[in-house]
Amino acid sequence: MVDSDRSQSRRTYLKTLGAAGTVGMSGLAGCTLLGSGGDGDSSETITIAATVPETGQFSSLGAAVKQGYELGVARMDEQLDADVELIMQDDESDPEVVRQNLTQITSNNEVDMIWGSFSSLLVTAGSAYAESQGIPFIGAFFAYEAPHRNSGYEWTYSPFPKSRDVARSTRGLLELIPEAERPTNVGLWEPNSGWGEEQADYWEETLTDAGYDVVLRETFSLGNQDFATLISQSESANVEALLSTPTPPGGITAVNQMQANNWSPDVLKFVRAADPTAWWSALGDSGAYACMCPGWVPGLTGGGNQAMWSAYESEYGLDDGELIRTPVGGAYNVAQTSLQAIQGAESTDAGALQETLRSQDFETVIGTFGFEDNGLPAEGDLTAPTGQWWEGNQHTVYPDVDGRGAIDFQYPIPAWSER
Amino acid sequence: MVTTDLLVQSLLNGLLLGGIYAVAALGLSLVFGIMDIVNLAHGHMLMVGAYVAIILFTSLGLTPIVGMVVAFAVLFVLGMALQRFVLERVVGEGMEQPIIVLFGLALMLQSIGRLAFGGNAQATDIGIPGDAIAIGAATLSFSRVVTFVLSVALILGTWAFLKYTTTGLAIRATAQNSSAAQYMGIDTDNIYVLTLGIGTGLAGAAGALLSMLFPITPFVGWSYLLKAFAVVVLGGVGSVAGTLVGGLILGVSENVGVLYLGGGFRDIISFGIFVLVLLVRPHGLFGSSGGGE
Repeated sequence: MVDSDRSQSRRTYLKTLGAAGTVGMSGLAGCTLLGSGGDGDSSETITIAATVPETGQFSSLGAAVKQGYELGVARMDEQLDADVELIMQDDESDPEVVRQNLTQITSNNEVDMIWGSFSSLLVTAGSAYAESQGIPFIGAFFAYEAPHRNSGYEWTYSPFPKSRDVARSTRGLLELIPEAERPTNVGLWEPNSGWGEEQADYWEETLTDAGYDVVLRETFSLGNQDFATLISQSESANVEALLSTPTPPGGITAVNQMQANNWSPDVLKFVRAADPTAWWSALGDSGAYACMCPGWVPGLTGGGNQAMWSAYESEYGLDDGELIRTPVGGAYNVAQTSLQAIQGAESTDAGALQETLRSQDFETVIGTFGFEDNGLPAEGDLTAPTGQWWEGNQHTVYPDVDGRGAIDFQYPIPAWSER
Repeated sequence: MVTTDLLVQSLLNGLLLGGIYAVAALGLSLVFGIMDIVNLAHGHMLMVGAYVAIILFTSLGLTPIVGMVVAFAVLFVLGMALQRFVLERVVGEGMEQPIIVLFGLALMLQSIGRLAFGGNAQATDIGIPGDAIAIGAATLSFSRVVTFVLSVALILGTWAFLKYTTTGLAIRATAQNSSAAQYMGIDTDNIYVLTLGIGTGLAGAAGALLSMLFPITPFVGWSYLLKAFAVVVLGGVGSVAGTLVGGLILGVSENVGVLYLGGGFRDIISFGIFVLVLLVRPHGLFGSSGGGE
């Protein structure tokens, strides 16, 4: 249970302290002002190290993350009186390679900031390195809260919805359905991982409190390829809303096996599995209706979304009916957070950035939020958007927004024979 | 709560899955039983077979059943070439040389797969329209039934080949006593080439079948190698019947065990059986020190 009054007063204190510190440091340093509106003399270079999974198991998302970072760096270049150099390497979806790459980049460069890769596996590897070096680290694409709470993070900040936000978003999604038609039986397929358990706990607690019945909660191993037993158990328990956090291959297999066994729930939310475009390329129309919580989804408005769309279309182009891929927005939001942190700190000094990250509010394409000391987005700040696959694209269905790509929540999932 | 319906469903799912476990293990069992070579690249050859089927499916729209035949042929040739041009030259240098060569080959195949196909999972589809098959309260997917039937056909075909053909007789003779077989005029070098061809061909066919049920990535090789090992140890090295029974036992144990213990126990069940059989009956249920049937 969080004491919101205490949390609020602590944040107010931090904000004051941060502002005072920033002013003090600015006054002392004088020569490291990087905010916009300077006299245009680009004498500074801000160096950012990043790794992205261009190859390996997360490679289908790596290209989009890279696009988001590149668009974000272009934006930073426009906004700052400094050159921004992004040194980005392929981490091969391997946490050891993340560490090796970051070691090599930071050994050869004066790195001011590190950006995370993709997934808990890779982001936490980068974060661990940044923590050991005392370099500010900003990473999206991991919802796992426990590392923030248990690892004593000082330099890691995650502008991304976390497990509790995903659970709240799921409740909001279900409440879009008229009460008389709303499913009541929830099934949880829990991968036997730390995040799998954490997310299942949040779902169970949040949805039980809201009056739903969790009729099934069964574990499975990450890497499991046979979901036939879970499907039979779900059918037997009359699961109407199925929630899980499988890997993309696992989620794709599960849907294929649901089809083969002629069963599907009324609502399907596979967080992370349904994030990549590989979902649609592997499943086609069979992948429709699946929901996910990828951090950013086409349809959101405000926070620079319009600028991002324009920049994306100008840089990469979009075919008719094509929407921006979700990791682009998540990565762009990392750059926006960094930009605002640097502007707020008026410096790239690690301590000043840390203070600013802890005390300032940020407005990005995913929403407006502050950070807790442990790098979590402040509780309640972010409304995690839920996306849904429909006609080959991911669309925002929750919250109920009207931006480009937003659609009404498609419910219920029809039987396979009617699709 | 585990109801009778759920139990029957899991039992049937386990049997269907066990068939494909058996065919995935058959090639490993034959090569081990007849040639005394532990093919550490077996799982990766299975992965190659799966990609052959996937390429034919995605590029030419060919059914994975055709893919299975082509995968068998491709891997058959690859296996024969491997024996003729690589393994033949290192056999006799010690037990470890073939193992090192095959381990290296496994790593090579995985890397080539990663370069060629990336990390994305891919699969094929049997493409049979209509609902799943209902048997009482149980529902069986068409693709599982089809792969089971094809798996059993492959196993029976292999058994018949070894039992009723002259070449099969020569293979069995070579397995029992290669020196005596040579004295009887059997070209054992060619028999070994053929045997590795058949073993890897079966791996390829199994891969094509697996692509109908499970997603394939370049990284699946090791996990199928371990499953195949468990089946071989369970059924007995070199025994075709033992491989089938071992596969079925493994499939059923996994599915029913998971029902009672939870999905996190799947691998514990598989490898628990593996270790238990090694301790209690190291030559397996049908195995003998004599090798092939």
